Amino acid sequence: MKKILSICLFEIKRTFKKKSSIVLMLGMPLLFTFLFGSIFGKNADITFRIALVDEEQTAFSKDVIQKLMMDEMISYELVNALEAEELLARNEVQGIVTLEKGIATKLRNEKPPATFQPSLGMSTAPLVIQQVNQAMQAVDIYVAASQVGGFYFNESWESVYGRITENEGRIQAWTEQKTNAPTGHPMMGISYSSAGFSIMFVMIMMLSMTGTLIEARQAGIWSRLFTTPVTRFQVLLGYFLSFLIVGWIQFFLLILLSSTLFDVNWGSPAALLLLVTALLLCVVGLGIAIASLVKTVDQQHAIGTLVIISTCMLGGVYWPISMVPDVMRKIANFVPQTWAMEGLTTLIADSGTIGDIFMPLIVLLGFAVIFLFIGLSRMKYV
Amino acid sequence: MLTLTDVKKSFGAHEVIKGISFQVEKGESFGLLGPNGAGKSTLISMICGLIPNGAGEIRVNGKLVGKHLKETKQIIGVVPQDIALYPTMSAMDNLMFWGKMYGLSGKKAKARAKEVLNIVGLTERGKDRIETFSGGMKRRINIGAALMHEPQLLIMDEPTVGIDPQSRNHILETVKSLNEQGLTVIYTSHYMEEVEFLCKRIAILDEGKLIVSGTKKDLNNRLAGGIVLKLTVGTLHPSFIEQVKKLNGVEKVIVQTAEELDVHLQSKMEIVADVILLASQSGVVIHNMQLKEANLETLFLQLTGRSLRE
Repeated sequence: MKKILSICLFEIKRTFKKKSSIVLMLGMPLLFTFLFGSIFGKNADITFRIALVDEEQTAFSKDVIQKLMMDEMISYELVNALEAEELLARNEVQGIVTLEKGIATKLRNEKPPATFQPSLGMSTAPLVIQQVNQAMQAVDIYVAASQVGGFYFNESWESVYGRITENEGRIQAWTEQKTNAPTGHPMMGISYSSAGFSIMFVMIMMLSMTGTLIEARQAGIWSRLFTTPVTRFQVLLGYFLSFLIVGWIQFFLLILLSSTLFDVNWGSPAALLLLVTALLLCVVGLGIAIASLVKTVDQQHAIGTLVIISTCMLGGVYWPISMVPDVMRKIANFVPQTWAMEGLTTLIADSGTIGDIFMPLIVLLGFAVIFLFIGLSRMKYV
Repeated sequence: MLTLTDVKKSFGAHEVIKGISFQVEKGESFGLLGPNGAGKSTLISMICGLIPNGAGEIRVNGKLVGKHLKETKQIIGVVPQDIALYPTMSAMDNLMFWGKMYGLSGKKAKARAKEVLNIVGLTERGKDRIETFSGGMKRRINIGAALMHEPQLLIMDEPTVGIDPQSRNHILETVKSLNEQGLTVIYTSHYMEEVEFLCKRIAILDEGKLIVSGTKKDLNNRLAGGIVLKLTVGTLHPSFIEQVKKLNGVEKVIVQTAEELDVHLQSKMEIVADVILLASQSGVVIHNMQLKEANLETLFLQLTGRSLRE
């Protein structure tokens, strides 16, 4: 046990002696959290502003507008068509959403009922379109019901629609929330960025740390270690523990700093500890697996960075996974970050408990077992 | 201290160690000499339990290496060919780490690291990072790491590769002094002068086989008289070579190049005059002539027809 601890503590000491480790562990994640949190956050200094033109002026269009206005990521400004053009010309808005006349009829006839005119180079146009579509789909069900009701009661659909939407509030009372189960609240802004970038930079840090396995092998340190009375198990466990502890320290400091600086509430500490541990096991496993498949540290960094960045994109680390198409969401189930983000969302946005993150925990541990099996079975020691 | 009995090792179909046997006594300094690829490092790896031996027996202090790995590893200190140290850590940190790997407690490791720094002559650089050291200083700490647990047997695998003469001398003097204090040393190198300086007994390996072993005196006796006449000529005529071989007192003739010839003599200096006469009669122009005392390199050349540093 002493030898395991000696290897572990020595590796931790080595890690913290490098100034670059501190930048990678804390500086970069906090910077990215702040930048991205500002872009996507409700506390954001920088928000997307979109002009909203209501040509329809009916109860239906007002409901669509009401739903859009509730959005926390984009700020909609209700103006007339002329004002909208002027705002766009002055770059005060990033685009114009127009709800056209006859919107309900068009929707029923499967014709586009709204248009979106983005400013030049606007990268978040798909996000706006998706939100407008979602708002209209949510309201469309009432239009469909109103048209059927109007036919049977021999009334105009608009009057039936008015009656239905006035009673909308009753529907919400049909389901009673009995537990602390996730309510599916989206995690937004700084909280989202904190969770996402903590995951990404812990992954990058662990990649860098597991690279020491290749360095040690190349420098002949492992060969020398195995001429001493230590076993492979002791060496591997020593390294493994050092990776986990550095990961824990990094996550703990990020939690502490994001709570202090950005007022992020990370939820239940016990559940968070378990989730972070499962994530770290998975990430260390991934690092060891990559280290076992390559010959040099440069190869490991190149392949590892590619894997981390691409899977972070898929797993909803940079932006909410709800923004991507269904196919991508299905693919995302096969990357660990998706489950880590789901777990963190449950803890942060829904104040979830250990029971609520059971599924993410199991999946992350499953990934860890697979990665560690690949890594340890392919590892070259001498 | 160390006994090898018919040790063999193969990697796939390639047999790299072909039945080697020798013994090293306690307190002895034993040299393993051989060119690159002779099997020295493989043999050392087997002795220190890094790789298993394919056949035969290796015993350290009577204990079979394969069966009592932990005990035998504790007896041995290994100085690898690579500088197996952590460059971003200090010399002290490195030494303490390796001490702990041999079971030393924190306090003992610290105290011993100070002693070892003194042994290798780097006391004042203890707190400096290894990456700031010269090649020679790194080699000295590399040796120091193997001394941390006060081993009974020190195995050194080419410990002076790529360093300046001053550091090399320091290392050789340190090892000699340690041996004089009772430490058993196995020293491998393809620098025969290092082995000659340090070791009382020497084994020469080539292509996985032990081609000769014994004390320096034994090996010198095997040398053909101890003198080599090195000739550089215009053009070598085959008839001239044949006539030189037939001269009384000529042990062996080795053609090095189209213009170079080594004539191994049985210490009869008068033969030199006969060789000059023969050259003159055969029309061979002698450009240069050198008489050299034979050494281990010469012996290796005699036995294999190849140079140690090929």
